[in-house]
Amino acid sequence: MSNLLPLIKNECIKIIKRKRFYVILLVLLVLVPMFTYAQMKSAERSQEKFNSDWRLELQQRITDNENSLSSDRVPDEWKRYRQIFIQQMQYYLQHDVNPNQPNGVTFTREFMDNAISLFIPLLIMAIASDIVSGERTTGTIKMLLTRPVKRWKVLLSKLIALIMFTSLIVVSTIIIAYLISGLAFGYAGFELPVFTGFRIVGSEVDMSGVHAVSQWKYLLMQGGLVWFVGVSVGMLAFMVSVLVRSTAASIVIMMASLIAGTILTNMASAWSSAKYLFMVNLNLTGYLAGNLPPIEGMTLNFSLGVLALWAICAGIVSFSVFTRRDILN
Amino acid sequence: MKSSAWIWRITASVSVIVTIVLIFGFVYAFNDINNPQGQPLVSGDKADISAGETSPEQHESVPSQPVLPNQLQVTVLGDSLAKGTGDSAGGGFVRRSVEQLNEDGRSAGVLANLAINGLTTEGLLPKLDDQGIQYALKQANVIMLSIGGNDLFQGSGLLEEASSSDNLEPDPAKLMSALPQASERLQTILEKIRAINPDARIVYIGLYHPFADIEDLLIPGNIVVTAWNHAVMEIVNRDSNMTLVPTFDLFQHKLGEYLSSDHFHPNGAGYQAIADRVVQGML
Repeated sequence: MSNLLPLIKNECIKIIKRKRFYVILLVLLVLVPMFTYAQMKSAERSQEKFNSDWRLELQQRITDNENSLSSDRVPDEWKRYRQIFIQQMQYYLQHDVNPNQPNGVTFTREFMDNAISLFIPLLIMAIASDIVSGERTTGTIKMLLTRPVKRWKVLLSKLIALIMFTSLIVVSTIIIAYLISGLAFGYAGFELPVFTGFRIVGSEVDMSGVHAVSQWKYLLMQGGLVWFVGVSVGMLAFMVSVLVRSTAASIVIMMASLIAGTILTNMASAWSSAKYLFMVNLNLTGYLAGNLPPIEGMTLNFSLGVLALWAICAGIVSFSVFTRRDILN
Repeated sequence: MKSSAWIWRITASVSVIVTIVLIFGFVYAFNDINNPQGQPLVSGDKADISAGETSPEQHESVPSQPVLPNQLQVTVLGDSLAKGTGDSAGGGFVRRSVEQLNEDGRSAGVLANLAINGLTTEGLLPKLDDQGIQYALKQANVIMLSIGGNDLFQGSGLLEEASSSDNLEPDPAKLMSALPQASERLQTILEKIRAINPDARIVYIGLYHPFADIEDLLIPGNIVVTAWNHAVMEIVNRDSNMTLVPTFDLFQHKLGEYLSSDHFHPNGAGYQAIADRVVQGML
């Protein structure tokens, strides 16, 4: 333990000095204003149409969804999704709570919902994919391994540094999204209630467990789930980074599998064994909002189990490969 | 080297704190999703709404000869006709009449069009208990309603028969069978809407006979549609702030001109004709 801490320190400083973390912050600073602007435009449009009366807007959305239910061209899964959506929105209307009241916190909450399955994993990959293979590309790995430190300690220090930065990325995403969207929508909204605890049984929603939490608590829960996803994806990227020599190749591999995940979640509902793939299980915040899972039979615990299993396997593979492999060039 | 030490100290302490917070959030979310604690939500507004519904003094304040304000806010309820199905421009009589009212110097706008394709009186009745629909009705001062066509024509299976087979047996009795219950439900619907919004002008769009060009259906259909319109007229007449917009005569001799390709819904010209009538009745 005594010589692990300096190693972690070394890794953290390397990540900072290589400016990877700054790049991530920069990406956020460029992209979040774009999302904010898009959100602002759509809010303006609905304001024109409904005189900023959210109840009318919500009721109109419910009716539009009901109309699409009667159409034969709509696939059954979409119908189920819409039926569930209708019931939830009616619940919000009954309790006179605006689910999309525009403010910085709501924006952040929605942003995190959308970012969890692709955007945040990509940001984490930017650090994770480089963390071992980068040393190979520059040749510094030899210097690292010739020091009188056990190899597993070197790798462990990298992993810990990665988890530390995963937390930093998640939190800075939340903070940046809040600060920037607050400029447009205002900084209030921490105490607004959000409903959670919808349980989906078939195409009905079980309302017995529904309860309101204030938005800051909801955001905290989201943060925790996003963090879990981040750590699991980080572990996988870490493994790829150990196995593959070049950083570019390891980024491509991880990116391809993540994007495959988003495509699969959109169309794989018929192929039920796809639920054992890690990339269709990334949308953990969906369970919080009570969305219909992409494949039938998926629950929070199932998704957590799948992700944890993949992450643990990735850890075992990376450690066993890294400690045994010869470092030649 | 000093800067490295600072970088380390800051990143290390911040990331440790942040990780602990996130882990806490994770555990919280895990518990919350797995053991959701349902809570009965008593909202004050809800009580207000139901109180407003039944207050009798508002009923009495309705003037005997209601005048329409200049600012018209329209909420639409009903079936595909109210939705505008068949209109290639997508507007239906609702948007067309609103546009015309705007041209005539009033300022009218559609608050919400809550019409659903294929809705019957049976389907509409429970919807009136929805908070959102009640809210939309309350905000309006004009409520347009089109309902009943599906009760008569779809309930009797006539729509399918007319489109599929030639050897259809026009059965006036079958057509008539839906009538008493449906008109009773319509009465309840109108009363409910009136209770939700005591002051709005309610505009009911009368039925036309879409199968008048099929010889065997002409007479039985005419009888049923007229009987329906008559039944509605009797309900509507009891309230000075309700109007029935007749459409039967409009379509009687112009089916080819006014019906869309599905032979049931009006086309753009048909909706325009209905909209003209709606506006005439309002001004």
